[in-house]
Amino acid sequence: MRRLPATPDADPLALDDETVERLLRGELAPDQAPPGYAEVAELLTAVAAPPSPGELTGQAAALAELRAVTRPRRAAATRRAARRRRTGLAVAVLVGALVTGGVAGAATGHLPAPLRDAGRSILGPLDDGPAPAQPARPGPPSVPAAQGGPPSAGTTTGPQGARPGTTAGGPASTAAGPEDNKGLCQAYQAGKGDEQGRKLEASAFQALARAAGGEDRIAGYCAGLLGQAKAQDGKDDQGQPGADGQGQGGPPVTDPGQGERAQGAGSPGR
Amino acid sequence: MIGPEFDDVLPAAADGDEEAFGRLWTDLQPRLLRYFMVAAPAVADDLASETWLGVVRGLGRFRGNEAAFRAWVFTIARHELLDWRRRAARRGAEDLPADGVVDQAAPDDPAADALEGFSTREALAQVASLPPDQAEAIVLRVVAGLEVNRVAAIMGKRPGTVRVLTHRGLRRLAERLGDGGRIRRVV
Repeated sequence: MRRLPATPDADPLALDDETVERLLRGELAPDQAPPGYAEVAELLTAVAAPPSPGELTGQAAALAELRAVTRPRRAAATRRAARRRRTGLAVAVLVGALVTGGVAGAATGHLPAPLRDAGRSILGPLDDGPAPAQPARPGPPSVPAAQGGPPSAGTTTGPQGARPGTTAGGPASTAAGPEDNKGLCQAYQAGKGDEQGRKLEASAFQALARAAGGEDRIAGYCAGLLGQAKAQDGKDDQGQPGADGQGQGGPPVTDPGQGERAQGAGSPGR
Repeated sequence: MIGPEFDDVLPAAADGDEEAFGRLWTDLQPRLLRYFMVAAPAVADDLASETWLGVVRGLGRFRGNEAAFRAWVFTIARHELLDWRRRAARRGAEDLPADGVVDQAAPDDPAADALEGFSTREALAQVASLPPDQAEAIVLRVVAGLEVNRVAAIMGKRPGTVRVLTHRGLRRLAERLGDGGRIRRVV
């Protein structure tokens, strides 16, 4: 390669760096290429030619991978955003409902229908809140007794007693709690009769059923909760409403078995 | 090349926008195929697919302009190639295809040659017949459209080395094509 520049015929194919660069960039047409490089220029043009249709097959596989990678991420982002919006709205409406509904409900025992419906639809997203029967207190939690009399410890309450996996999957530690259930109870009591069947379909009332330990216990639970709410005026808010909640007919009963179920239902398989 | 829109196309594609991703794919898939046609023609399609899996998985983390993106894609492509070569070496040399693309380059109709010059396939076969480093340097420069410094980074060599490789490769092509007398006799 050590040729003297003074002897041009010594290496007819010698190239300087700039010419190499221009060839590689396709800036030299074959007829502009240095002697001996016309074919190379042509070849490089073919190497960089526009794609043929045969080179543009198989995009579907790459797109499928793209979907597999990005869909879970996008769906999660959408769910997070929706949950934020929903929670914010629910909290705002909840406060309004409790203020208004609490006054109206206390005065008349009856919620205006529009408010009731709003409560039903808005409180739904909050149905993941912890059941009131799991206070931050050591020892066996308790739930109020049912209408039918004191259940014995450890007995089951039927298939509806524990319904794991029925929640919509929200944060289990949102602000929902006894206060929310009071609102639900007011709405529940306001709709006695044929409406109750429909009510129990709503997720908010399923949460109420869980808190009460079963759909057939809602009435008793609510009676205890609302009655106790009045009785508890002035007491510490952190009190455990379930601990001394009254069933309609019976004395307060501690039921560790039910407590476990309530707890289990409050945090479904997450 | 996608051009100035690349800055919008890339994040859209990373977010799952299939049209945006399709633009990246359409721009790069033929280049990847040609790179692999030179380096490992028998498995060019498979290696291109594997490269896209890597690209898709890393798309959300990539930051940079279009030239950097292209260099990144070809870095992944080269890793796929080296992985494949390692696997092939473990399996044994009997599985290694012998210069498939060169054999596939059947002589074209001379009349068509005179009019259209090389087919892309034939041209790739010529490049593939060079020593591997020279062939790879030329393909990354010409097909991937990468600057010397990026090619050097991808190949793990110094820029000066890449210049020498491309220079020698072009010269060797000129010698061969001249000897073959394909077009030279016409000139």
